Amino acid sequence: MRRCCVQLLTLVAITLIAQASLAERAVVLVTDKDSPIDELTTLDIRKAYLGIAVTIDGRSVRALRMRNDERLNQIFMQSVIAMSLRSYERRLLSLALKYGRPRPTEVGSLQELSRMIVENSPSIGYMWKSDAESDSRVKIIKVLWQEP
Amino acid sequence: MADRPKTIPTGHGRHALLTSLVLMTTLGWTQLVRGDPQHDLMLFLSLEGIDVFSGSDPALEYSDVRSTADILYTFNNDRFRFLGEFVWSDSESELERFKAGWQANDRTVAWLGRFHTISKYWTTEYHHGQYVQTSISRPGLEEWEDEGGPMPSHITGLSLQHEYDGAGESAISFGFAAGLGSMFVGQELVPFDLLDPRSGHDLTVSYRMTYRPDVFSTNQVGLMVAWNDIPVVSASAPALVDLNAIRQTTVGLFADWHWTDWRVITSWVYFDNELQFVNGDENDDFVLAYLQAEYKASENWTIFGRSEFGFDEDDSIYLQLLPTSIAHRQMLGVRWDFTDAQGLTLELADTSTQGDSFVHDHFKEIRLQWSAVFP
Repeated sequence: MRRCCVQLLTLVAITLIAQASLAERAVVLVTDKDSPIDELTTLDIRKAYLGIAVTIDGRSVRALRMRNDERLNQIFMQSVIAMSLRSYERRLLSLALKYGRPRPTEVGSLQELSRMIVENSPSIGYMWKSDAESDSRVKIIKVLWQEP
Repeated sequence: MADRPKTIPTGHGRHALLTSLVLMTTLGWTQLVRGDPQHDLMLFLSLEGIDVFSGSDPALEYSDVRSTADILYTFNNDRFRFLGEFVWSDSESELERFKAGWQANDRTVAWLGRFHTISKYWTTEYHHGQYVQTSISRPGLEEWEDEGGPMPSHITGLSLQHEYDGAGESAISFGFAAGLGSMFVGQELVPFDLLDPRSGHDLTVSYRMTYRPDVFSTNQVGLMVAWNDIPVVSASAPALVDLNAIRQTTVGLFADWHWTDWRVITSWVYFDNELQFVNGDENDDFVLAYLQAEYKASENWTIFGRSEFGFDEDDSIYLQLLPTSIAHRQMLGVRWDFTDAQGLTLELADTSTQGDSFVHDHFKEIRLQWSAVFP
């Protein structure tokens, strides 16, 4: 009986921890810690990710994308860009063709994203909040999405 | 088709030279600008089979397979921008666009170089990116100079673009362009050649105003105006012997609108041509238009159709000089996007070209195309 209670309590504890962890799950917009960017409106973020010029202190903001995290990209597309990934890709193609705007640079890893953000200031990127908090080279400027 | 005059030489050697010039210029400019540049390189490929048949005139019938590669390079570094577009196909290889730009602020860009006219909607929406346009064919009104297009498509000069923010996420943009346009040679317009500055081309000026209710969507309506001074090489074709120049004014409207699964693209252009003959001027005016409807049946399938028509164009003495220009076309097609970057398209059309007289050449077309973009 006592063993069953311990097992039950352990199960409840694990469930609560998992729920707490999920509650913390969020996607954030980051820039380098010395960046002049302190805030960006959702409109400006959408513009930057569609290659439309957004300038801070006279310099164009560069938008960077993560290539390999499908879930992250899906959330970003739905909650910020408001397009499917395919529609977004087609739109970028069209804008590059029409206005000569290079498509946002894609990176393959978190490390590369942080490095690119630091080396190409002012740049922005999106990542999981937990990853952003553990990376001293970047600062969070906006929470883009939070697990309900 | 008449031979081109000696002042407009062609050849792969010249294009190789021009390509080298592009690369050297780009590399040179990149050294002058600060920061880390942002590049993009895209390759648009297409392979098209076409079969033309006519019950009334077997001489019009032919079959052909055409392959095209369009290479687009863009460069961006803070305020400096560059765009180069080179097209290689079975019939031509040409540096289509080659322009350097300065982004004065978020809303204003000035470009210098060779670019596509802003007075044609489809042309500036799709350029040579065959994969991006739903249909295989482009409307006759929007055809390139060497495909019987009735107005200049390429300008070498200066362009300015400015955009005002409207209410909400709307925007109104203005474009102005001025430079050297086309001249009339043989049975087509011939654009200015960057490597032949003394070719005798004259001024073209164009203006566009566009309203977009949402800067993030493709919905837009607008007005286009152009004035084209077109010199004529009188010795290049019998029909041009007494013709010195053409002063062409165009005023057009366009709309491109989405409603859930539907999209409609339409453009209407009024032409006023003053043909300056040795014995006096003749005025010629008409309207050319098209309306294309697209229905997205599913994520991967699109059904589309287009009607091309006009008013008073059948009697135009200007269009008579362009026998390959499309007079009328009724077209239906279907497109299958079988991957994220590749599509197969089938198109059936009932078409009339202007012909050598006021009697049009009439035929039917079947086209099948594979198109793709990489990466």
